[in-house]
Amino acid sequence: MALPIKYNLRNLTVRKGTTLATASTIGLTVMVYLMVMSLARGIDLTLASSGEPLNLIVLRQGSTAELNSDVSRERLNALMYLDGVAREGDQPLAAPEAITLIYRARKGMSQGSNITIRGIGPMSAKLRSGFKLAAGRMFQPGLAEAIVSRRIAERFQGMEIGDKFRIQATDYTVVGLFDAGGKAFESEIWVDVNLLGSTMKRDSFTSVLLRVPDRAQMAALEKRISDDQRLQLKAVSERKFYEDQQGTASGLLKGLGIFISFIMAVGAGFAGMNTMYAAVARRTTEVGTLRVLGFSRRSILAAFVLESIFIAVIGVGIGILLALPLNFVSTGTSNFTNFSEIAFNFRVTPDLMLSALIFGAGIGLFGSLLPSLRAARFKIVDALRAS
Amino acid sequence: MKYTHLILKNILRNKRRTLLTLSSLVVSLFLMITLATILTEFTRGSKEANPLRLITRHSVSLAFPLPVAYEQRIAAVPGVKHVTPFSWFGGIYKDEKNFFANFAVDPRIMREVSPEIKMPDAQWQAFINDRQGAIVGQKLVALYGFSLGQRITLKSPIYTAEMEFIVRGIYTGGDGKTLYFSHEYLNESLPAWAKDKVGTFFMMANTPADIPRISQALDSMFLNTDAPTKTESEREFAQSFETMMGSVKQFMYGIMAAITFSLLLVMANTMAMSVRERTREVGTLKALGFQRGTIAWLFVGESLLVATFGAALGIGIALAVFRSLDLSLYIPNFISFVPTPETLAVAFALALFVGVASVIYSASRVSRMTIAEALRSTE
Repeated sequence: MALPIKYNLRNLTVRKGTTLATASTIGLTVMVYLMVMSLARGIDLTLASSGEPLNLIVLRQGSTAELNSDVSRERLNALMYLDGVAREGDQPLAAPEAITLIYRARKGMSQGSNITIRGIGPMSAKLRSGFKLAAGRMFQPGLAEAIVSRRIAERFQGMEIGDKFRIQATDYTVVGLFDAGGKAFESEIWVDVNLLGSTMKRDSFTSVLLRVPDRAQMAALEKRISDDQRLQLKAVSERKFYEDQQGTASGLLKGLGIFISFIMAVGAGFAGMNTMYAAVARRTTEVGTLRVLGFSRRSILAAFVLESIFIAVIGVGIGILLALPLNFVSTGTSNFTNFSEIAFNFRVTPDLMLSALIFGAGIGLFGSLLPSLRAARFKIVDALRAS
Repeated sequence: MKYTHLILKNILRNKRRTLLTLSSLVVSLFLMITLATILTEFTRGSKEANPLRLITRHSVSLAFPLPVAYEQRIAAVPGVKHVTPFSWFGGIYKDEKNFFANFAVDPRIMREVSPEIKMPDAQWQAFINDRQGAIVGQKLVALYGFSLGQRITLKSPIYTAEMEFIVRGIYTGGDGKTLYFSHEYLNESLPAWAKDKVGTFFMMANTPADIPRISQALDSMFLNTDAPTKTESEREFAQSFETMMGSVKQFMYGIMAAITFSLLLVMANTMAMSVRERTREVGTLKALGFQRGTIAWLFVGESLLVATFGAALGIGIALAVFRSLDLSLYIPNFISFVPTPETLAVAFALALFVGVASVIYSASRVSRMTIAEALRSTE
């Protein structure tokens, strides 16, 4: 026969201070866990959503990032008219692109970071869903104009409409701000690809984006490009290309997060043990009475474990409440692929909260097992005789 | 101090509780020290920068190279004592997992520009004499077993080039995880489009006072060329890398604040339980004539002693762990992973603070009770 839940809940309110202190310890552990994990999740989600399912990105064979890739103009022509490239009217949905980096100071600081400048072709915006002008206008092809993602304009100096920045001998004017639906492009500056090429005195591109009409043709086109010995290029699905970039930054964060929260959990677990040992000691006579009334050792054990888990769940609640506002915080770091800024939001997602709940309850369980076993092992006579 | 014995007795009264509190304290302090060490290493580059060293790069960003011909012009600038090309090769040793930095430099100048790197004279000479020569840090030797005379092949995805080097020297100092080789050799090995280009130039000034003058002279000299430069002291250059990572510092401080607060709660809760259980004893002590202050101090002393012991243990464990396990081998850019004396001092002070702060409320509450109130307590 199990003890009624009400018994557990009442006990929590007897020592409100202790309950709250123990719960808060677990809460802070959960908060730190969520802080680090939501940061990693923010990077992952940004990168995972960046690739379009029907896009292929073509790079030079052997290159590991766009920055060290190279695709010549002749190869672009060969690629555009391959079978399997989708068309709009008679125009192939293919976009040559070139990227480079520009170092800018962050707002309010003298130092900053590299920002990716992407030279885009006429089809580029069409190949990226979620792209939307937020203010100003699109740059005019052939003119030294640029559009800047709103997030970059918010975080770096001199990136508002009307501001100018220089690449080599060319001054580009910012004429518009854009959003990209939380994707990696939201950390970029876009200019005309041909103009960027002439600015940089480079007659080739860094990558070519191709759209396939449907999933089924994806693999065939990918293989065809990568296997063509004359091209010396490789095609990867854009989705995979961005997913592969998740590793370094978010992997490091996840490792750090697990390390920190594990150690904090051990500390919180010890604290929980203290609380539960005190609770058991205080209620020794009570346990004796319950046993006399016919409650089994097992239900005594269950009651104390449950009580501890309740405290832990309150703690998880506190931790989640403390971490939730992070959802509104946007931040940025350097990605390890191109060494350029990637802006993203902390993302406290439901599955992270669920894992926080399991993690927190686990701390409660760890903290309660030994004290509860002790309570369950009391001999009735001894327990009743305790003062 | 005549009550030390009483305080000790009180601490040992509930051994299990004291042990659990201590363990909680020890793991928290270990964690704090670990995080503080990461933070220290993270900003070491700018803190320990050589005050004579300058770095010049393309003003747009590091993705743009500078012409190799700049070397002569930089050398002629008054105040510049030494200059060497310093180019990131990005070479990978066997597998992408084996990441270590590798730079092409002028072997004749390297010693002057990086005085923190120590190597026997014979090895410096061998490095200078062998076009294919490379020098590697002690930590690379520990990680990959490199030895003098060994041939190492690095493959660079930037240039799609493969280069073979012969280890001519093993240095200590610096980060110990970088391979340096000859810029001339790099230039010969690269395809035409990549030739005669340099990533950055490292310079040594005659005096620290020359640095602003050199920066200005260089940057205005190249202002209207295809490759304008940005010249900074090593400190500023390192800071720019630290800023690139974003708000790492604030984030870490946030986590450390959470750990401290959590520790405070743990200690406060334990002390509150102990004090509460001893309320009646406080009544007895009062009846015996103990002063309010003395009683409060008994509790503060107890908490402080536990905190001191926990701090000493936490610091000892952290030192033992990080001295025997050098994590800097595995983390790029980290020079060492041994907590600094400042870190340890701060951790100790923090533990003492927590020790006092956690007991103040309970101690003052119980010591202010009247004898009757305390004796009537049902705890």
